[in-house]
Amino acid sequence: MRRRDRGSKTWVVLLGVVLLFFFVALNTGAAWSDNSFCLNCHQDESLKKEDPRGRSISLFVSEAGFKNSVHGELSCSDCHTKVKDDAHAEGGKKAADKKVDCGVCHEKAAMEYRKGLHSKMIMKGTERAAYCNDCHGKHNIFPSKNLKSMTHISNIDKTCNRCHSDIEFVKQHALGAAIPGEEFKRSVHGKTGEVTCTSCHGSHSLGSLIDPKSSIFRSNIPQTCGACHPEITEQFIVSIHGVLAARGRTDSPTCTTCHGIHGIKAKVDPDSPVNERRIALTTCPQCHAAERISKEYKLTTTPVKSYYDSFHGLSYRGGDTYSANCASCHGVHDILPSSDPKSMIHKDNLQKTCGNCHPGASANFAKGKMHTVASIAGDEMGDMIVGWVKVIYIILIVTVIGGLTFFNFTDWLRKTIDRRH
Amino acid sequence: MTKKYFRMTLNERVQHLNLAINFTILVITGFALSFPEAFWVSPITEVPAGMTMRGFLHRLCGVATVFLGGYHILYCTFTKRGRGIIKDMIPGLQDAKDLLETLKNNFFINRPAKELKMPRFNFREKLEYFGLIWGTIVMAVTGFILWFEVEWLRYFPQWTFNLARTIHFYEAILATLTIIVWHFYSVIFNPDIYPMNWAWITGYLTEHEMKEEHGLELERIKAQERGEVKELREPAAVGREKAYVSPREVRKKGFSLRRLFGSVQDFNESLKNWKGI
Repeated sequence: MRRRDRGSKTWVVLLGVVLLFFFVALNTGAAWSDNSFCLNCHQDESLKKEDPRGRSISLFVSEAGFKNSVHGELSCSDCHTKVKDDAHAEGGKKAADKKVDCGVCHEKAAMEYRKGLHSKMIMKGTERAAYCNDCHGKHNIFPSKNLKSMTHISNIDKTCNRCHSDIEFVKQHALGAAIPGEEFKRSVHGKTGEVTCTSCHGSHSLGSLIDPKSSIFRSNIPQTCGACHPEITEQFIVSIHGVLAARGRTDSPTCTTCHGIHGIKAKVDPDSPVNERRIALTTCPQCHAAERISKEYKLTTTPVKSYYDSFHGLSYRGGDTYSANCASCHGVHDILPSSDPKSMIHKDNLQKTCGNCHPGASANFAKGKMHTVASIAGDEMGDMIVGWVKVIYIILIVTVIGGLTFFNFTDWLRKTIDRRH
Repeated sequence: MTKKYFRMTLNERVQHLNLAINFTILVITGFALSFPEAFWVSPITEVPAGMTMRGFLHRLCGVATVFLGGYHILYCTFTKRGRGIIKDMIPGLQDAKDLLETLKNNFFINRPAKELKMPRFNFREKLEYFGLIWGTIVMAVTGFILWFEVEWLRYFPQWTFNLARTIHFYEAILATLTIIVWHFYSVIFNPDIYPMNWAWITGYLTEHEMKEEHGLELERIKAQERGEVKELREPAAVGREKAYVSPREVRKKGFSLRRLFGSVQDFNESLKNWKGI
């Protein structure tokens, strides 16, 4: 017991000595003395300069803010390397200092950044393209784990949206009419608080929609979403939509075509495009009722039309959620053409597919063509018969009801005239 | 106070009311499916599970109508009044003549218009009655095919199902329009009847209505009241003959229409005279 006590005392003494050295080193360090020298002027909140465009820029640096930041122990000149002499501010004009190069220390991040869209935009001369300090801050940088950090997961959307939800900015840079911030806030991802801009767009190396290496490039989207939804991506990439999208077919859907982009909603949300009330009204028909796409892929728009006129479609249009929609028979992420033996609508699987809702469906139940529109010019005998019956009935209705109406009209007319006498 | 003439028994009025309600619900719930986006469907589509309830109600009323039809068959078979209805409902040459004369009246070929004496059921009513029977059979058959599609498609190809759908839809249009155009004219908008033929509620027709629509029947009733015509025991109609059933004939072996009709009548009589166990 006594030995142990003495041992722990020794440790405390040793720790004290180390700490003492540490603080002495801090207080006598060159950094602190240098910074005080700079801060003599830059502590002044009214210190300003004028940039070449004539805009006033504050040169104030908060001492406390800097000291608390992750770089608080660095000297000013560690970053502001071009400030060679004390005379840099002579005449109130900045002479030598250029932008701080963070890449001196943060080599990897700088390399990634140089591949990214923001750096390319800077090289093109775009004025408001983000540089390191636009996202990370200047003298008040915190590690991204810190809640106060501009790059903390809870702050990233605010950081990005300073520009990307600024209507002026969005207009100037032709980013489309979308204001991602607003949409995202209401989305299922935005509500979790765990997903943010960088989850999908990447951070330093984020790329544009037309950059094939970008995480939001069309054919990379399934992989991007698959980072969190791996099973679904696995299903999707072998589906007809996934295969065509991977081949670069721009009119083949990827995740975002059906689910939306920034404003993705949960399936149960009535505003979600994949809500069961909207799938067959807007989501699938956006392509499958479109002339251009159906022509290109040798499909027709008949399936959509015939579905709307079928019992399933009619009841669905009236709000029936038990009634089959597109996905009930064709699948969701794993849609395959009927020629594929794994497809839900392959002729060998149809009985099972129909049987999902119609227990006891026989093999005969699933026979025959679906999505047909009865017509006297139909390909099959059954269609033609139904088409003819339709025509006969229409003629019958017109003649019978027309005849009865006419008869009654003459009857009414005669009786009315007779009554006048 | 003009004399009133008995037209519909309470039983018949209940049958009519039953049919009217079922028919209306069937029309509404049926066309609600065909035109789900129409403005008048919104009370159905906007309630939760509205479409599901719509389907249930449609089937329920369909079944009710089929049962009503079955009841009507029994009524027309096993009651004397019912058999009388059937007998008077059989269309004949007179109806064609009445139709022709009406047309002549209406086209002002007959000037002044000829006063028609029409029987208990005039050609308008006969046409409607047979239309109703035809429509009910067609709608019931196709309706049951659509309802029991799994069973139906076990034995028949898919296009027959589509055929049933098509027929069910167009026959519904035909039936609905017929009721609106034909029936509502007959009992409401006909200037001789307007504002309404109240027989479906009160059971009675006015003398004016009887004279305009059923002149022959009016004469018969009046003759009967004067004692000129005596009501005979109900004969079995076989061909053009009138056959009166004798107990001896009932005992004969073998099948004949006359015997069947006689058995039904006898059964009916014994039911009527039944005093309980």
